[in-house]
Amino acid sequence: MRTLPAPLALALVLALGAAAAAALEPWEEGTVGRPMPFAEARAMPPEALAARGAALFAARFTEAEGAGRPLATQADTPTRRRRPAAQAFQRLSGPDANSCAGCHNQPQVGGAGDFAANAFTAEGARNAEFDVLDPQFSSERGTTHLFGAGLIELLAREMTAQLRTARDAALARARATGAPVVARLSAKGVAFGRLVAHPDGSIDAAGVEGVDADLVIRPFGQKGVVGTLRRFTVTALNAHHGMQAAERFGARWTGSDDFDGDGAADELLAGDVSALVAFQATLPPPSPEPPEHPEWRARAARGEAGFAAMGCAACHVPALPLESLRFTDPGPYEGAGTLRAGDVAAPVTLDLAALAWVARLPRDAEGRALVPLWGDLRRHMMVDAQVSGFGGELLSQGFVGRDVFITAELWGVGDTAPYGHRGDMTTLDAAIRAHGGDARSARDAYVDAGDAARADVVAFLKALKVAP
Amino acid sequence: MRRAVPALAAAALTLASAAAAQADAPRFVEEAAAAGVAQVHDGPWEHFVGGGVAVFDCDGDRRPDLFIAGGANPAQLFVNRAAAGGPLRFEARGTGLPERLMRGVVGAYPIDIDSDGWRDLVVLRVGPDAILKGGPDCAFTDATRAFGLDGGRAWTTAFAAAWEAGATHPTLAFGGYVDRAAPGAPWRACHDGLLFRPETEAEGEADAGAPRYGPPQALTPGYCALSMLFTDWAGDGALSLRVSNDRQYHIDGAEQLWRVEPGRPARAYSVAEGWRRLSVWGMGIAEADLDGDGRPEYALTSMGDTRIQKLTGDGFGPEYEDVAWDMGATAHRPYAGGDTRPSTGWHAQFEDVDNDGRLDLFIAKGNVEAMPDFAAYDPDNLLMGGFDGRFTEAGAAAGLALPTRGRGAAVVDMNMDGMLDVVVINRGGPAGLFRNLGTPRTEDAGFAPLGNWLKIALRQPGANRDAVGALVQARIGDDVVTRRVQVGGGHASGRLGWVHLGLGTAPRAELRVRWPDGAWSHAWRLTANGHALIERGAESARQWLPPTE
Repeated sequence: MRTLPAPLALALVLALGAAAAAALEPWEEGTVGRPMPFAEARAMPPEALAARGAALFAARFTEAEGAGRPLATQADTPTRRRRPAAQAFQRLSGPDANSCAGCHNQPQVGGAGDFAANAFTAEGARNAEFDVLDPQFSSERGTTHLFGAGLIELLAREMTAQLRTARDAALARARATGAPVVARLSAKGVAFGRLVAHPDGSIDAAGVEGVDADLVIRPFGQKGVVGTLRRFTVTALNAHHGMQAAERFGARWTGSDDFDGDGAADELLAGDVSALVAFQATLPPPSPEPPEHPEWRARAARGEAGFAAMGCAACHVPALPLESLRFTDPGPYEGAGTLRAGDVAAPVTLDLAALAWVARLPRDAEGRALVPLWGDLRRHMMVDAQVSGFGGELLSQGFVGRDVFITAELWGVGDTAPYGHRGDMTTLDAAIRAHGGDARSARDAYVDAGDAARADVVAFLKALKVAP
Repeated sequence: MRRAVPALAAAALTLASAAAAQADAPRFVEEAAAAGVAQVHDGPWEHFVGGGVAVFDCDGDRRPDLFIAGGANPAQLFVNRAAAGGPLRFEARGTGLPERLMRGVVGAYPIDIDSDGWRDLVVLRVGPDAILKGGPDCAFTDATRAFGLDGGRAWTTAFAAAWEAGATHPTLAFGGYVDRAAPGAPWRACHDGLLFRPETEAEGEADAGAPRYGPPQALTPGYCALSMLFTDWAGDGALSLRVSNDRQYHIDGAEQLWRVEPGRPARAYSVAEGWRRLSVWGMGIAEADLDGDGRPEYALTSMGDTRIQKLTGDGFGPEYEDVAWDMGATAHRPYAGGDTRPSTGWHAQFEDVDNDGRLDLFIAKGNVEAMPDFAAYDPDNLLMGGFDGRFTEAGAAAGLALPTRGRGAAVVDMNMDGMLDVVVINRGGPAGLFRNLGTPRTEDAGFAPLGNWLKIALRQPGANRDAVGALVQARIGDDVVTRRVQVGGGHASGRLGWVHLGLGTAPRAELRVRWPDGAWSHAWRLTANGHALIERGAESARQWLPPTE
């Protein structure tokens, strides 16, 4: 794969996407076309698959194609509503968007969203509409960008493997020696606490930090509770559009091929989801260049040094090394309700190394690609007694504590205002000042640094743009 | 496209769902010989019934081991050596007990009577029953006399146990079959059931471990019990003993429910209290709360229709209606082989075999011996619980339609991969060990994993360490699924150890336990697809990983 000039690439995307969608004439209402089985997706050239995904990402789904979910809630686990939804769209409990790109569009498709594009996380219980009005059942979320999402997922997979290897080795030693073994957990230089492996095969995970006790790095969502683009995609398609993918909402897991009761059966097949995953996984990462303006460039350089000196880079790690650029879909750590590696004879394989933008990634001494995400894919406590700008949520999403969030990757932050989990902070300065808990000392260093040093840090962050 | 679904289409959808249920049913491969399990339950008339298996961990490695009855053949112990997710593998292990004790075994139930952390075995026999006290590394000693239990000389075919409120040791109930010495035997001549309660020890005198059982209460009349179960039918914490009786040898016999109140003799519920007379060839019992109303339903296996009894009436009395037909679970004749004569059901067990969050029902089937009015080819059932509340037979698709005569059984994860396997004891033929492979993939000959799952092991300090009687409740999205830790039921077959929960597509579950004394725990938040050890009072659950080789 090579990178094409943007207008040409867009034209190609639309052409390929339209071709893949097939069976729809331009004057017809509809966007999806015939749902695509997984085997078809696997047989497609990666570019065509990603193009089909791009078309689906931008598609304004129609009622006939399955948009809307009158009898289903937004829950990630298939859940029936008590009574049919009164409206096709509903800003709180959803469906709250007609297309993915309806929100993910700043500064371009695949990007972040304004506050107007906020969404609500809720468990999607049967009282779906009532619950999302109450903050103890719902949390508001800004729309994040997806650039470089494939690299993020690959990093997470490798980190999971690293953590589990350490756990398994400790357990094997404990079983062999008959004595407890303490394992300090670290992946790609990021520390995740410790666990104790006991000779009886049990694991005391009380000391594990920043990740679930199963040691699966779940890099997506503000709380770090979604492990894969595929899982996120299937959940989001239902929650935001009422487009139900058969791999979770189909007959196998619900007993019905029309779980949401909208008259459309098997609205999206596994191949469609793979197309959306391919599109997102191959989105180029933000690729900032030093600002052209000499003063900005100087300030950004000073700001980057200050960012590190203040301790911000302890969590907002500039880059993490990636061993392999082969993205398989489905991935190795998927659960039921999202297509798993074991569900298919062979996965879709996307060799990201073939993409032109990969050449721009720096390499370390071992030749590994360095992913400049400015994050650590680890959860942290973000609140303390004095500073609680990122706290106050009453909903414990995905069993993660109310004040605990995964480190936001800062790549592209210069293009994706407003900031914060709710997208309700209009300046980077405000977002930095809101950091408490584990980030308190770095935040205090920033606050105490003086106007010029703070302005330098902001200048550095504003230079972390999606594209030059 | 958006329009109401007409009735015909709805019917088609139901059929489609049933077809889908069969297509998605797990596939099993029989591995007994390769796994090193060779056991045949056989013998004369006394061994036409029974043929049970006890499933429990006897060596402390948390993998389920098997003690399999042999009837006239000696019972055998098989120690689990399977690697996680691998082929089933067992190692035959001598018990060191006299052979006379290992012969004549009808079935067995594991239970840690003395709460020493090692499961004991209650062995049901044609002749004196026995309690085998478990010790480290699967060592057993005959503790029948030491525990003060009179093993009797009856033909014992049913067992259940429970800790009554405040008791240090369990109450043991035994059910007898035909009293061969009684006048007129075998007709209208059944042993009484026996209820053994631990004697109260004086302060300072008690040995915390060793129980003493005094003379039993006779549960009269006995109607030839083939299965019994301590249950909380009303969901109010009170214990009752449900007994399933075989009308074959007592035409006046009927199902029984005994009220068991601490400090009082057990007494049978009467018609005036709502208990309706039901006379079946009762062979096995299984309990599960199928509709989530907090009150269990009961599957009763028999010759002909399987019954599923649901509490009805005003709910104040034990009044039940049969809903098996409505649920598609009568399983009254073989589903394969073309024999249209009625079927003969034995062991019954509700479990979530495909991990879809819905309970399925396994029934071991087989002609008593050569009864001409009943099907000769009578394969075991795998009734898959559907999302519409109905069951669909999937035994043939699952690979269970075999010409065996099933008796006792256990649905249990023997290779610790979260997918439930099956062990079936067959009369006159080798025991079957069926490994669950998952569901067939559509695009090749491989198998796909099933739904998400959790397995829970409970532990509490002091008496009743395995928390027999506890209720495990998991909240999965808006659904709540429950399991009860029980010793009893099935057909001559008991199991104690991991509690298995299918989670469907849920990546997590919130779990609570109502401990046997009625106290509810706080909630544990668990991620799917793992084993969790739950100690009473512990703030967090501890993970457990099975051996990988």
